[in-house]
Parts: sequence; structure tokens; C-alpha cells
Amino acid sequence: MDLRQSRTLRSRLNVLQAAAWLMILFLVAVYGWLQLVRARELQRLAQQQAVKVRTTPAPRGIIFDRNGYRLVDNRRALHLVIQKEDLGTALPQAETLAAALEIDAEGLKRRIQLSRGALGNKALRLLDNLDETGLAQSERLRARFPFLSVEVAPSRVYQGDELAGHVIGYVGEVTPEVYARSNGKFQLNEIVGRSGFELSRNEQLKGEDGQRRILVDHLGREVALFGLHEAKPGRSVYLTLDAGLQKVLMDSFGEEQGAGVVIDLRDGGVLAMVSSPGYDPNIFLHRLEQETVDLYFRNPSRPLLNRATQGLYPPGSTYKLLVALSALEKGIITPETVFHCAGRKTFYGREFRCDGVHGSVSLVQAIAHSCDIYFYELGMRLDVDDIHATAAKYGMADLTGVDLPHELSSRIPNREWKRRNAKRKVDEKWYAGETISVAIGQGQNGLTPLALARFYAALATKGKLLTPHLLYGVRSDETSKMEVAPVPPAKETRLDPVIWASLDEGMAGVVRYGTAKDSYDARLGMVGKTGTSQVTTFVDKQHYAKLAKKFRDNALFAGYAPRENPQIAFAVVVENAGFGAKTAAPIARKLCQYWLVDRLKQPLPPPGGKLPDAFEKKPEEEEASASEGEAP
Amino acid sequence: MKPSLRTLDPFLGFCVLALAALGTLTLYSAGRGTVHANLWIRQSVFNLVGLGAMVFLANTDHRRILRRSLPVYLASLVVLVLVLLLGKVVSGSKSWLSLGGFSLQPSELAKWVALLFVAHRLGRRPPEEVGNLELLGAAGLVIFPMLLVLKQPDLGVALTFTPILLLLPLVRGLKWRWVAVGFLGFALVGGVAWKYRLKPYQKERILTFLDPARDLQGKGYQVHQSRIAIGAGGLLGEGFTSGSQTQLNFLPVKTTDFVFSVWAEERGFLGVALALAIFGVFLSRILSIAKEARDASAAYFCAGAAGIFGLHVLINAGMVAGAVPTTGIPLPFFTYGGSSTLSFFLALGVVMNIHHQGKTR
Repeated sequence: MDLRQSRTLRSRLNVLQAAAWLMILFLVAVYGWLQLVRARELQRLAQQQAVKVRTTPAPRGIIFDRNGYRLVDNRRALHLVIQKEDLGTALPQAETLAAALEIDAEGLKRRIQLSRGALGNKALRLLDNLDETGLAQSERLRARFPFLSVEVAPSRVYQGDELAGHVIGYVGEVTPEVYARSNGKFQLNEIVGRSGFELSRNEQLKGEDGQRRILVDHLGREVALFGLHEAKPGRSVYLTLDAGLQKVLMDSFGEEQGAGVVIDLRDGGVLAMVSSPGYDPNIFLHRLEQETVDLYFRNPSRPLLNRATQGLYPPGSTYKLLVALSALEKGIITPETVFHCAGRKTFYGREFRCDGVHGSVSLVQAIAHSCDIYFYELGMRLDVDDIHATAAKYGMADLTGVDLPHELSSRIPNREWKRRNAKRKVDEKWYAGETISVAIGQGQNGLTPLALARFYAALATKGKLLTPHLLYGVRSDETSKMEVAPVPPAKETRLDPVIWASLDEGMAGVVRYGTAKDSYDARLGMVGKTGTSQVTTFVDKQHYAKLAKKFRDNALFAGYAPRENPQIAFAVVVENAGFGAKTAAPIARKLCQYWLVDRLKQPLPPPGGKLPDAFEKKPEEEEASASEGEAP
Repeated sequence: MKPSLRTLDPFLGFCVLALAALGTLTLYSAGRGTVHANLWIRQSVFNLVGLGAMVFLANTDHRRILRRSLPVYLASLVVLVLVLLLGKVVSGSKSWLSLGGFSLQPSELAKWVALLFVAHRLGRRPPEEVGNLELLGAAGLVIFPMLLVLKQPDLGVALTFTPILLLLPLVRGLKWRWVAVGFLGFALVGGVAWKYRLKPYQKERILTFLDPARDLQGKGYQVHQSRIAIGAGGLLGEGFTSGSQTQLNFLPVKTTDFVFSVWAEERGFLGVALALAIFGVFLSRILSIAKEARDASAAYFCAGAAGIFGLHVLINAGMVAGAVPTTGIPLPFFTYGGSSTLSFFLALGVVMNIHHQGKTR
């Protein structure tokens, strides 16, 4: 058989040949549809998944102490995030993701939804500052949830740990709650200062975020960079704090609760500010464990409270200087006026006691020995509104204006104040007997340690009302040296030199032979006033020792040093520590010892035992602080 | 007879060389920077070995091969059974045999053996003398190894046995009756298979084909990404080794199932049209050789070969563009793979010899 003669087979093969070409045509049409008709749309999809815009968070400014020690530094850290463009993919899986992360599902869903609608390209952070375990966990999560990614962004390192936690504060991201309250000031998921200096100077510290246009592969890994808008780092700033003095103050509190402030009399800069118990801001860089939350937020000692600016303490006898000042300026007494102290006296039909029997006492002796009878006599002759007016004149009735957030105003009672704060109608009237209590710093008086220190600074400077502040200078971008920031204005108040001399003499007596004579050191020239303020109502001495610690008196000491040409003013409050001269005055003495003697003998590194390693000077700062030399 | 290049058909030879060259280049580009960076070298070796085998078979009288097709066919059945017993599982299918360092996929060759045997049996007598029973028997010879392959389960390769069935109407002509019976039978078998035989993943593939958005993370995702890559190529393509979807790995399994998308993205519609045109000439030429063949068996073999090659092209190129359901079958000379490439060349060797015999008589 010759197949080539079989016409039927040939024609059937022809049909097959046509079918083959039809198939090819069909495929050409399919590809033409995709590559010619739909090309634009598909090219856009291709670009969308390969080209991303990512925010590069700006590093916050570094925070130095006045001598150039790094108190707060930055490091590169890894964070588990959902990039903005992946939020849509993440939303339907929010519940399983929340379960894997052991966080609240509703909260996560809300954050994802809000972040999708928010401006900018900020990634939503799920886990901050991953350590090795966190990184391993993140990789496991990424295998399950491919829309997660790990982002590199600068993170804070608080070098001194607890050293200045309350002053410096800490940072955190803008949560939906914070965002709702910020009135557009913050971006959602932005890292901002949440307390302390980090919060009050957030604008200077934060810098400007940059942007990168990048090419990513199918796993979201960056393959190429083709557009960079550099992040602008925040300003690096210098605090007025002296790390060495701060350390001395912190260490001298030990386990005690309370607060201490040291003010530089040249400009009002805060040289040291401690609130005890302290806290380490580093713990807030991670998601908090329940244990930590309990320790910091549910602790009755309230470690997060900055007692130096937010703790209102009855000033006790440290208030007597103000009462004396008020009486002298009103002309009710002169520095020579003498009262008789028999250890007890009845005013308005009620008996008041004194700690001793002082006999005939002058003003100077009354201050030195803290004679209560003398000041009861003043309280009987003064009106509470007069005392308030003097307090206002010397800046105690207002905020001090320190550049820290949430400062509390001191509470100086007067008639108006009582009327406004009375719960019942009968409580509105001011009784003269109450002025007697106010005159020795008890009663309704409440002062922050910072306000108290500021008042003693006014005494030391003969009437200058300094504005306490923490910003000392900013680092210049060009020279990397410090440029001193403008000093907040001080207000001059007229303080009669004769009056001042008698108060100064009295405070000198306190330390030389008076209530704080145990803390006397001729070389330091420290002067001041002790205070012991009752936390609870009077209890007789036998029962006093048995009182629970929390009901014991607060110990105070406020003053300045040295007496000739003063450099620093200070206030120290030790809670429930009993007699002021016993606990508070020795702390003040340590402060003077360091500032006036030890620091000059051995300026660097600061003495007083071991400072944290972070205090090792870094080479780049060597030169900067050398040229600054002694702080102005 | 001394092996000679003269036995080769220049048209077909040109098509094969061109397709193998384009395919190897595409594999080079697809593998760049990944663990598959050296696949193009291995594929080149397969191509060279395949070309050698093709030349050898082109110089071997195909009638001698056809005459010995019964034992070869029986051997292929034995091997397919062995695969089911001893094979190793790769991505869900037990379709590979390990032979001292080599892995073979016998099913790729088995379909050519089945074609050879069926062509031989049907071609023994003139078409008009072939009885219905004989046709049914021939269909059974195809369906039996096909079922063994389905058992692996490898739906894609099993599918590539079906073009052999084209020979039945080729021999006897097409009658509407039979078309109707065929459709009914297909619908019945398909329905029963859907209900009782298809694996869930296979059902899922068909459903995903009908609605690609159904499964954007799995198979649907692959096709979705493949269509993006193809579309991104546009008219002119993004350039060799410069396809963004390819090089950034958005395109999945780009050295095997989706290799043609790489070509489409980097060379654009013009490149696709060129490749498809070459395939068209290739298929058409095989069918022309069938027309020149000296004997019926040879013609049947060529027709079946064109059917098998054509189905590979249609399914693979159509699948990556989302025009037919996702089925993992290779695109001849593009998709990486030793067993399939060698099988294609062997089949072409037989076709070449048929051409040579038809010419020289």
C-alpha cells in the first residue's frame, strides 16, 4: 500500500495541521490579551508589589549630662512590624496573629484598622527591640504570617539605668489612645517621649523621619534602593545634671523613699534631681510583662511618680523661714524681737507644745533651734493671707516652670483656697487657730521638693527667683560642640539686706550649733533648715516608735552652700524617716561635700565608688568637654 | 548504515535547535541568583545527549523499531508498575525511579512507547480493513498505562497520553454518532471521576481555574503572579535577565512549570509570538512528514507525536497564562527536566527517520 495515494488519510492530516495552527493562534491571542491589552494594568500590579516606600525613623537626639557623659544613647535595634502596605493582608488574620502573640485581638484589630487609615508610611510595631529569643520567635511567626517583617530602627539605651529615670523619662509609640488625644500633633505608631525630659523636649529630640524607595523580592526583602530622603536625626542635648552629683544623691537615698533637688545658683539649672524609689527607663523599651506592670503601676510606693516635681509634702519647719520673712517684711517683728519659750503655750484656748524649753529666744536662735513657740507667736500675729502673699512674692504659689511634664503646683493655703476647696459649708471659714499650724509648716501646706529648693535658692541669692531647668545646651551640628541654650529668665525680688542677714545667720546657726549640728563641717559652709513634718496626727512619744513606718514623720532639709558666695541650693525630703536632722541633713551634707570638695579634687571620672560603665568617657566627647572645662 | 546528519529534516532540525536554545537561555535567566543557577548547564547536557540520541534514531530504520514495539511496550508496563511499588514521591506524586544517582520519570517515555505500539498495531492493515474491535483494543492499549500513571497520581502526564486516541478518528474518519458517544462517555467518566476518583487538590485546581481569585495564596497565587509577569513584559519585554517579577522571585516555580512566563516577561509579546510560531512550524512539519510517510504506522506515529507535542504546548503555555487549568506538564525544550527532554528527542529521532525513509524511496 502506498500511503501517499490515500487521499482520505491526507485530508485528515490536513485537518490536524489546521487544528495545530488554530491552537497556536489561540495561544497568540491569549498572550496578546495579556501583553498588549492588559499590559498597563498588569505592569502597575507588578510595580506595586515590587516597589515600596519605607519610612526610616530618625534617631532621637543623644542626651548628655553637663560634662558630656552620655546619659541616653541610641542603638540599631530590630522590631517585628507590619509594613503599611501589608496591613490589608494582616487584618483578616488579626485574631490568629493576636493569639500567637498572646495579645488582645480586638486591640490589635483596632490598631491595624487605624494604622491603615493613618497618614504616612509608618510600620505598625508588634514587638520592639528584639533580642535573640525575640528574633527567633519573630522568624517563626514570619513563617506562619508572611506579611510580618523585621525592621531596623534606632532604639534608646538609657545608660545610667535608674540614675536619672524620672528626669529623663522614656519613649514609647503613639498608641491609638495617645493618638486620639494628640490632636494631630503625633503620627500613629510614631516613637515619642512618654514622660520626663523625653516628653517635655520631644520636639527638639525627635528629628525628622526619612523615606526610602526600595525594590523588594517576594519575601519583602530589600533588593535595591532607588530613592533616599535621609532621616534628619534629632538634636543632641546637654542636661544641666551633673552625673556625679546625681549619683551621690541617688546612692544616699538607698532604700528610703523621698526626693532631692540641687539647683545651680548661677542660672537655676538643676544639678541633680532624684526621686526614690527610682526606675530604669530601659524596661519600657520592651513589651511589658504583667509582673513589671504590677511592679511599676500597681506599686503603692508609686515608683513612676517624680516626687521632686509631683510630690506635695508638708514643709514642716523648713517653712519657718518663709513665716519669719513674712513677719519681718510686714514689720510685725524685727530681727531683735525676743519671745519666751516655756515648752508649751496656749493659743486660742488650745495648748501647743515645743520640742524643748528654749527660754528667751531671738529670731536667729528660734531658727537655729527650730523653736515652735516663737513661730506660734508669729502665727498669732500674722494673717494667713499675709503668709500666702509672701509665699507668692517668693514664687512658691506658682509652678516653678521647670521643663519637665506634669509638674504640680505647691499648695499654700489662704482664705480663698479654703473656701474653694471646702467640701461642706462649715469648712469654708478660716479659723485663726489654723494659722498657728501653718506657721510651723504643718496644716494644709504642701510643697514639691523642687519648689522648696527654689525658695532656698531665692534666699541664697538674696531675692533672685530662678527658673529651674534641665536643658543646658544643644550640640551643634557643625562642630559637635555644645552651644549653651538661653537661660530661662530669673525674677529679681527686693529682699531687705538686714532681713536677709538675720535669716542667713539663723540658718548658719542650724548647722553650727542648732538642730543639724551633727552635720556640721566648717569647710563646707553649708546652711539650711531642718524640717520634720507630721504625716499623721499627734501621737505621744512612747507610741511613736511602734508606729507603722508609713505613718512616721517625713524628714526634710533645705538650704544652700557655701554661706559665703553660695553655689548651690538644695531640698531633701526623706519620707517616714523621722527627725529631719537625722536623715535629711546628712544627705544634704554629702551633696555639699561632693560639689564643693570632692568634685574639684578629682573631677573625672566622678568619684563615689563605681559609676556604671556607661560613664566611661567616650573618645569623641573627650575634646568637647575639655574645651568646656569647668561648667560656667 | 553509518549515522549521518543527512537523514535529518532541516526544517524540523532548525525548529528543535531554536527551541532548545531559547529554552536554555530562559532557564539561565530564571535560575540566576537562586539555588537553580546551574540548571541551564544540566539542561544543555540533556539537550546534547538528546540530540545525539535523535541523530542515532534518525539513522535507525523505524520499521525495525515498530516491529519490536511489543516487548518494549510490555517492558514499559512493567516499569510503570515498578514505579508504583518502588518509586519515590516528589511533590505528592510517586512517579520517579532512582537508579544509582539518576532519577528517572518513566511515565514521560511510556507515552511514546504506547504511541509506538498502537501505531504499529493499527498500521498493519489498510485503514478500511481495521475493525471496530481493533480500534477499541487500541484505545485500551493507551488507557491501561494511562491508568497506571493516574494511580501515581500524576494527572498532568496521564493527560498527555490522550492525544494517542486522536489516531482512532484519523484511521476511521469522524462520524457525528461517535462524537456524540465520545462526549457522553467523557461526561460520564468525568462526572464519576469528579465524584469518586479525583483527589481534593485536583478538584481544587479545576475550581481555581474557573475562579482564579478563589485561592490567591496557593495555585491561584502562582497563576496570578504568572499573569502579572507575562503582562509586565508588554510588547517588547523587560530584557534578557531583567524581568522584575522573575528576578525578584515573585514568579513561582520558574524553572519548570512557569518557565514560559519568564520568556514572556523578558522578551515580551514579540518573543512569545516568535516562540509560538516556531512551535507552529514544528507541529505543522511533523504532520507534513506524516503525509509523506511510506506506511500507515509511520503516519500514525507522526500524527500522534504532533498531538502529544501540541497538547504539551497548549496546556503549558495556556496554563501559565491562566487560559487552561493548572496542570504540571512540561513545555517541550523549555521546562527543565532530563526524562522529558530525552523522550522528546527520541520521539523526534523516529519522526526524522520516517521523513528520511519517505524522502529516499
